[in-house]
Amino acid sequence: MREQPLREVTQLIHAIEMGLVEGSYSITNKTLDIFKYIIMSKSWQSAEALMQIVRAQSRILQAALPQETVTSNIARRILKMTREEFDLLQAKVQHFADDSQASLSLHKLVTQTSENCVSVDYSLPQQGLREALLDHLQEVETELETSSENISVQAEEHIHSSEIILTLGHSRSVENFLKRAIKKRQYLTIIVAECAPSCRGHNLAATLAQEKNVEIIVIPDASIFAMMSRVNKVIIGTHSVLANGGLRAACGAYTVALAAKHYSVPVIVLAPMYKLSPLHLCEQDAFNMVGCAEDVIAYDSLPARDAKVYSPIFDYVPPELVTLFISNTGGHAPSYVYRLLSELYHPEDLEI
Amino acid sequence: MVVTSEQGSTSFPVSKQKKQRQRNRPRNKRNRSQDTKIQTQIESAMQKAGSNQQPNASAADKSREQVMAEREAKKLAKQSKKQKQPPNQTPATTIITEVEQTTITQKLTTTTTTTTKSKDNNNKNQLSLAAASITPTTAAVATNIPVSADSITTGEKTRDQIKAEREAKKAAKHAAKSSKSVKANNVDAVPQQLNNLHVAAKTTGNETAATEVSSPADQEKKKPPLSKAERRAVQEAQRAAKAQGQTKTKAAPITQAAASSAKATPKVSATPVKEPKRDSESPAKSPVKLSTLKAERECKMKLFNHLASADKDASLFVNDPNLHPSMARLGVQYAERTVVGSNARCIAFLHALRQVVRDFETPAKKEFGRSLDVAVKHHVDHLNKCRPLAVSVYNAYKQFKNQLTQLPADQPETELKDQLEHFIDTYIENQIGKAAQAISSSMQEKITDGDVLLTFACSSLIQFICEEAKRRQVAFRVIVVDSRPFCEGQEMLRRLHAHGIPCTYVLINAIGYVMPEATKVMLGAHALLANGYVMARTGTAQVALVANAHNVPVLVCCETHKFSERFQTDAIVYNELCDPNQLVMSGKCCLNNWQTKSRLTPLNLSYDITPPELVSAVVTEVAILPCTSVPVILRIKPDIGY
Repeated sequence: MREQPLREVTQLIHAIEMGLVEGSYSITNKTLDIFKYIIMSKSWQSAEALMQIVRAQSRILQAALPQETVTSNIARRILKMTREEFDLLQAKVQHFADDSQASLSLHKLVTQTSENCVSVDYSLPQQGLREALLDHLQEVETELETSSENISVQAEEHIHSSEIILTLGHSRSVENFLKRAIKKRQYLTIIVAECAPSCRGHNLAATLAQEKNVEIIVIPDASIFAMMSRVNKVIIGTHSVLANGGLRAACGAYTVALAAKHYSVPVIVLAPMYKLSPLHLCEQDAFNMVGCAEDVIAYDSLPARDAKVYSPIFDYVPPELVTLFISNTGGHAPSYVYRLLSELYHPEDLEI
Repeated sequence: MVVTSEQGSTSFPVSKQKKQRQRNRPRNKRNRSQDTKIQTQIESAMQKAGSNQQPNASAADKSREQVMAEREAKKLAKQSKKQKQPPNQTPATTIITEVEQTTITQKLTTTTTTTTKSKDNNNKNQLSLAAASITPTTAAVATNIPVSADSITTGEKTRDQIKAEREAKKAAKHAAKSSKSVKANNVDAVPQQLNNLHVAAKTTGNETAATEVSSPADQEKKKPPLSKAERRAVQEAQRAAKAQGQTKTKAAPITQAAASSAKATPKVSATPVKEPKRDSESPAKSPVKLSTLKAERECKMKLFNHLASADKDASLFVNDPNLHPSMARLGVQYAERTVVGSNARCIAFLHALRQVVRDFETPAKKEFGRSLDVAVKHHVDHLNKCRPLAVSVYNAYKQFKNQLTQLPADQPETELKDQLEHFIDTYIENQIGKAAQAISSSMQEKITDGDVLLTFACSSLIQFICEEAKRRQVAFRVIVVDSRPFCEGQEMLRRLHAHGIPCTYVLINAIGYVMPEATKVMLGAHALLANGYVMARTGTAQVALVANAHNVPVLVCCETHKFSERFQTDAIVYNELCDPNQLVMSGKCCLNNWQTKSRLTPLNLSYDITPPELVSAVVTEVAILPCTSVPVILRIKPDIGY
């Protein structure tokens, strides 16, 4: 059982690889469902055992889908959740809850040393842990569901009327965000870089064009720099946010961010909390993947025979090129990401 | 010369296309000619409504071609008169045609029998009609028709004439009805208006006619000055009609333009006034609709209202008797982008210019230099209409003009021509050929073993340098960065591949992925502006930007004949918009029918501007310089830009 994938996990992996499940949101949702199933199942008796199972399944997912960091992010959330609930229940049992939990004062934070931090024994069986976990999981699910909505309501805070906004490719958060902005603000001009070779920007443009009071301009990727001089804000989505505040975003994002930097245009990145991953990858070679090159140049064309053709999927955007992150909990500077991470995940779970 | 080869190879599909167009011609002929008729009628009607133009002016200077055209027209008219004699039992449409013909011949004959003045007048009409079909600018003169109709009222009416009128009116009514039933918006109202106006013109002309169909009230309604919206609609219709009418004649060799259009003219005027259904349906309307949409769209893109629209059809200007065929061809090649690239355009222009000089005939009592200057200016204007002139072409033209002014007056024409041709040849050789060699030789010092050169899109100069380096057996490779929609990098890849240079090919988004490998970035340029900015194919600035971020030196290779005196700090003030449809991917794409979505616009910019701080050096045939030294070069080489 231990290192064997669950049937649900294999199904999910298959679905993602076949492209049946697309987008970080749905992948996160599906992963969460799997972990919920694990928690509900009778296969574990202690918190330790549950954490073992979650880790094992998460490792399998990560090995099968190295590019989808959201699965491990969710696993980390579950692990942290388990720890918290266990601690809470233990504290209640031992009746010194008011002492250890309530007074996490500044004094304590400063004076706290590693010796004070007693390692908790999670192997003890605990009454009511399952129910508490399911309750907590409900919260996480709601957070996930409302994350896109929560991001888009912040549109008014960041966009004024008759602004010229540039975006790249097609991100669902960006789509919702811009739709909201279009409703609330008038005379926006939205420039969509098409993001060749898949040209997903066309989809975004077509969707946004259904709204009123907005002007949509589709540009090829080559014109980003030329147009940037007129742009007020760059709003992009991202695949995941790295621990240093950098981005692993769609290919082309680096150029956009660089051009924005050149013209001192603020770059706003929409990233729901589940995209924050505690990874330190400061070079794209560490994570990039190359896609099918057929779209870049036809296989049967003459020069394609000897030429090397690359079609990378991601770009690394260093944190200094990002102005602001907007997550479902509010806006954050790139330098603050480490703090969010420490709130979100337990330090011991950073490596699954 | 390396660059010229692409002209030859790429011109093939164009000619093929042309052939196809010719093949399709007979089927559409009627519609087109009909449209032309409509066009002239609108114009005449508009002239009447707006009135107060003196139409006689164009007839003042009759060139030889025009006289020939006139003769042709008369001959044809006579022929058709003869045809009329036997009673006709042909299908309905042809009857109308012939009847119409007869009315015109009638007019012709009646006028010839009346006073010489009216004869002259009528001839002028024929002539102006011919002119109208050749050049849209002179089309306005067609106003004369109703006037002449007035002049013939003295002559008694033949049966045929009356019959013809009846036919025409019936058809007009029919058309009006059907067009009303389609949709009563501005555009659709146009054919109806046309009919009414036409009928009105006729009835005023022939007061003796027994059959008065259109009520005077109707005339009154339609005749007074059109509202702004209406006028725009009419203009749109005109434009569409013009486009259709002239695609027909486009295929014909232009040297015989005058003759062929003269032949076409009687045919045009001889076609039925209105064929009810067809008129209100597809042929005229769909382009009209599209063009109105386009007009709306142009207003939509606020940022780019000032830029020339990309969808100018070269065929609109092609039918110009004063245009040398080589220039006409070049115009089409520019417009269809079969000749692209600063150098290629310049060379093609100079070759065409040499043809023009060689074939130039000085008009009587005129000075060679002056009249050639005027002729060349006309050609350059034409090219500019087809596609805004490249800086290189503009500079070459300036140089040529300069040369013209310095011509000695006392030498025979042939010698002057030889001088000019020699000048053109040396310009090509020195400014382009030798400059490329000089740049290449200075670049060879920069290319060493193990170098990875990154280049963007296609530049004949970069290609030349790479080939030279390969010849020296330097072990280097090239990364070709490309971008949609032009995909010129594929051409570059093909050329480099043909010389056995190892290549890597990526799209411009992936530039961050390949830039760490690159040791040097070599870029071509469209022009170097006086403030040191580099104007080049859109995307170049992005490449330079990323190269700068990775600390890779950026070398821009540019001959001094591309230096411009213009100042520009961004890519939007002056740029060229290309066909936005190129952005739409073939097959299933969300951008299909973007025209129907009023708020969506694909934008296809041609050039962008690279700021000098992103460029390490400019390699010219004079020296390797920083960008900011452009004004210095302009000063020491004052013959470059004026």
